[in-house]
Amino acid sequence: MSSGKRITLQQAAEIVKNGSSLTFSGFTIWRRPFALVYELIRQRKKGLHLIEVNGGPQTEFLVGAGCVDIWESCWVGHELYGKYGANLSRKVGNKEILVEDYSHAEMLFRFSAAASGAPYAVTQTSLGTDIHNPAYDTLGNAGLRDGKRIPSHKYRFTEDPFYGAGAQVLVPAAKVDVAILCVQQVGEEGTVRVNGQFYSDPEVARAADVTIVIAEEIVPEEYLRRDSDLNTITSFEVDHILEVPFGAHPTGMFGRYDVDGAFLKDFYAKTRTQEGFDAFAKEWIHGLDHVAYLEKLGWPKMLNLKANTALKYSTGVKRGQ
Amino acid sequence: MNKEFAKPEEYGLADLLCCAASREVQDHEIVFAGTGLPMVAIMLAQKTHAPNLKLIFEAGTLDGRPPEIPTSVGDARCEMGASRSSGLHDAFSIAQRGYVDLGFLGGAEVDQYGNVNTTCIGDYLSPELRLTGSGGNPDINSFARRTVFIMVHEKRRFTEQVSYITSPGWRVRKWPGGETVHRRELYGAAYRGGPSAVISTLGVFRFDDETGRIYLDTCHAGNTPEQIREMCQFDLDITRVSGETLPPTREELHFIHEVLDPEQIFIPKVKRA
Repeated sequence: MSSGKRITLQQAAEIVKNGSSLTFSGFTIWRRPFALVYELIRQRKKGLHLIEVNGGPQTEFLVGAGCVDIWESCWVGHELYGKYGANLSRKVGNKEILVEDYSHAEMLFRFSAAASGAPYAVTQTSLGTDIHNPAYDTLGNAGLRDGKRIPSHKYRFTEDPFYGAGAQVLVPAAKVDVAILCVQQVGEEGTVRVNGQFYSDPEVARAADVTIVIAEEIVPEEYLRRDSDLNTITSFEVDHILEVPFGAHPTGMFGRYDVDGAFLKDFYAKTRTQEGFDAFAKEWIHGLDHVAYLEKLGWPKMLNLKANTALKYSTGVKRGQ
Repeated sequence: MNKEFAKPEEYGLADLLCCAASREVQDHEIVFAGTGLPMVAIMLAQKTHAPNLKLIFEAGTLDGRPPEIPTSVGDARCEMGASRSSGLHDAFSIAQRGYVDLGFLGGAEVDQYGNVNTTCIGDYLSPELRLTGSGGNPDINSFARRTVFIMVHEKRRFTEQVSYITSPGWRVRKWPGGETVHRRELYGAAYRGGPSAVISTLGVFRFDDETGRIYLDTCHAGNTPEQIREMCQFDLDITRVSGETLPPTREELHFIHEVLDPEQIFIPKVKRA
């Protein structure tokens, strides 16, 4: 049974409007929806508001390309392959981007709240840190807290009214327009099976108004429903699907291919300046489509990244010095 | 296995840091570790004196037994031998619920009360350099009974006051007013402990139980307490030095270089003359 959820990369990118808020699947350098991130850059999106449990290369590409006005998260970098987010850092220095800092657990709890329809979450993390310094409420200082898509406060303090457990922090639900996920398998009706750690994918899929899933494979829905205990996200939470093999490159896909560390290292080294980023984007993004991108990468590179099916990671990648 | 201490020419500084950090772990503890040296240190403990430690990586693998070092906490290798492959909600809920004995973290700056900065250098609203941001550093440090930091030692990094408190030490800010209070007072029922050691490239530091102030415990070979005090912007207490940091054993070096990190991802091998 076809659900009519299949779309193309171009159509998927068109769903994201200038000014949309956006979030992604994955964790740092794993399972980021790169094929669609590249297409957003090709379509020259503007004014995006990224709300992420944590950032990563996808953040750095979108920020470097000038697509992002607001970044709300806790961390950005390329792990071992780049010390920090050089593009974000440059744009923060030039005051070209607004950054709102939360802690990792706060961001996760914010998505959990949105995913369960609650307006906020309560937590005890990060008490005493400058994350809660009222002078550092960036979106408040910029006059953007409208109480609609952007919450009217960054956080609120309260005392536990039930058990007298003391100071608590209320963090607002992370409400986002679009979530873009990159996974191993999706069924024709939208059921998602993630292999390995699912990070915060179930929460972000449910928190967003529109959820787009790009998958290594679209498989028969009936196949996934034979073992529903192995599935991660239910069909009706997913609005659009598309099949994009190697769609997470240069990030990794558990069981399918490893992180392309050399590519990320090269990106980090070359995009410390805006001129460097523009040259990188000209070479790797503009004027290409996904197949042309893979052709440019070439089979030797892709075969080297391919995971061993028993071990779930590549035995060909040289990781160290 | 050979538990004799290695000779100075047989190991490097990264080996020493890793072994010093590994020795902070006790068997049967539940440990939460970040990417890099912290990961190697706890996996070394798992291979040596703490075979029953439970390993949590914040990306979502619980009680894993990876045979070799993952490149990051999201790596496919984290899942090897795990009790569960899950997600961040489980990892952080477990921490907030109070299961975690020990957290292992890094930092760019630390102050005399163990507050750590990984967010920015300079004024937050107009930073000289924007760093990675908090990640899970404040969360692990908020919830673990003890946290150990592994850091590069430079005078500018051991500072009177960090540019931005990313991760809470022993004396923290009570917002919205911003007055400085003891961590115990602010955390109330969620209080379980705090920073217990900083292992820098010069020595091992600990914190006074009452005041929360840092003091020097051991010096790595080749450094005197006075030299280390010179490398801090605050007045370092050197009256409690207990001696020199114990060197790695040959068994520990074997596990680091032959088993855990043969590819030299995090720990370079010392080149023998």
